[in-house]
Amino acid sequence: MIQPQTHLNVADNSGARELMCIRIIGTSNRRYAHIGDVIVAVIKEVVPNMPLERSEVIKAVIVRTCKELKRDNGMIIRYDDNAAVIIDQEGNPKGTRIFGAIVRELRQFHFTKIVSLAPE
Amino acid sequence: MQASTSLFSCPLPYKSLAAPQLPGECMPFVRPIKLSWSSSLQRPVKFSSVTGLSRDLSMFSSMAFNPNVSEDTDDMYDELFEKYGKVVLRRGDKKPHSAEVDDDAESLAFAVALAKVASDVKAADIRVLFVKPLVYWTRFFIIATAFSRPQIDAIGSRIRDLAEKQYGKVPSGDSKPNSWTLLDFGDVVIHIFLPQQRAFYNLEEFYANATLIELPFEN
Repeated sequence: MIQPQTHLNVADNSGARELMCIRIIGTSNRRYAHIGDVIVAVIKEVVPNMPLERSEVIKAVIVRTCKELKRDNGMIIRYDDNAAVIIDQEGNPKGTRIFGAIVRELRQFHFTKIVSLAPE
Repeated sequence: MQASTSLFSCPLPYKSLAAPQLPGECMPFVRPIKLSWSSSLQRPVKFSSVTGLSRDLSMFSSMAFNPNVSEDTDDMYDELFEKYGKVVLRRGDKKPHSAEVDDDAESLAFAVALAKVASDVKAADIRVLFVKPLVYWTRFFIIATAFSRPQIDAIGSRIRDLAEKQYGKVPSGDSKPNSWTLLDFGDVVIHIFLPQQRAFYNLEEFYANATLIELPFEN
C-alpha cells in the first residue's frame, strides 16, 4: 500500500538508493499502489558518481511491499521493506541488475524484463 | 435420539456443532482443529526475510513457537496424515523424465523456428540459450540484435505471425517497438535489442551458465 510521500528502497543498480512516491499512475484518484503498479517518484538519496541525481523525477515499478500480496491458491507473501525498480518512459529498467526477491506476478503485469534481470 | 447421543459422546473437546443432526447417519465431518488455536491464527507469524505462508503452515509454525503444546497435537497430526496422506516428498504434478524431455524438445523446435525467422529478417548475433536449469519461469531465451526500430518491428511482427499460424501461440510483452523489445511465449522468451542496449544490459553475461543451442543456419 504505497501512497504519495512513501519512501521506497531501490532494488536495482541504477544509482538511486531511496525514492519518495509522488503519484500513482493509473486510474484517477487511486489511493494506494501495490506490487506491479507504476508510480512517479522523486529520488531522495543517490549513490555517488552515477547518472541519476537527487531530486530527479522518475517512474518506478513497485516490486516489494510490506503489505501482503495474496495469491489465488491462498499463499500470502509479505516482505520487510517497500522497494521499486526505476524504469524509463518506454518501460525499460534503468539499471542492469535487480537485487532481492521478485514475485512471479510481475511477469503477468508485463514486466518480464525486470524478471529476466532478477536473480534466481 | 440416536444421532444426538453420538454427537455428545464424541471424543473431541467441543460439543456444539453447526452440522444438522442426520437421523441414523454416522458422525458428521468435524475439522480436527482445536478452538484454542483460533487466537493464534489471527496473528500470523512474521519472518525476518521473504515470507511465504500457506494457511496450514501458519498453524503449524505458531504451534512450533508455543511451548505449551499438549499431546493432542500428535493426535491432530495423525488425523491429518490419515486424511491427507503422508508428508509430501515430491511434487505431485511433476511429469516423468521422458515427458519433460519431450516438452523441452517441442519448445526447442519452436525456439529454433523463431530464431530462423529472425535471421531471415537479418537480425544479427542470434543466440538461443537453454535456461531451464537456471530459471523456473521459462525454458529458452532467444537474444537477437536489430539495427533500427523498423527492423525490430519487422522481426516482431514476423515472429508473431509464425507463432500464431504454425503453433497457435500469442505472445505477451511489447507490442510497440522498443529499444529492448521482449516477446513472451511462456516457455520461450525473445529479447530483441538495439546494439547499445545489448551491451548495456549484457544478458549473456548474466546467463553465462546457460547452455548455448547450436543453430542450423548461418549467423
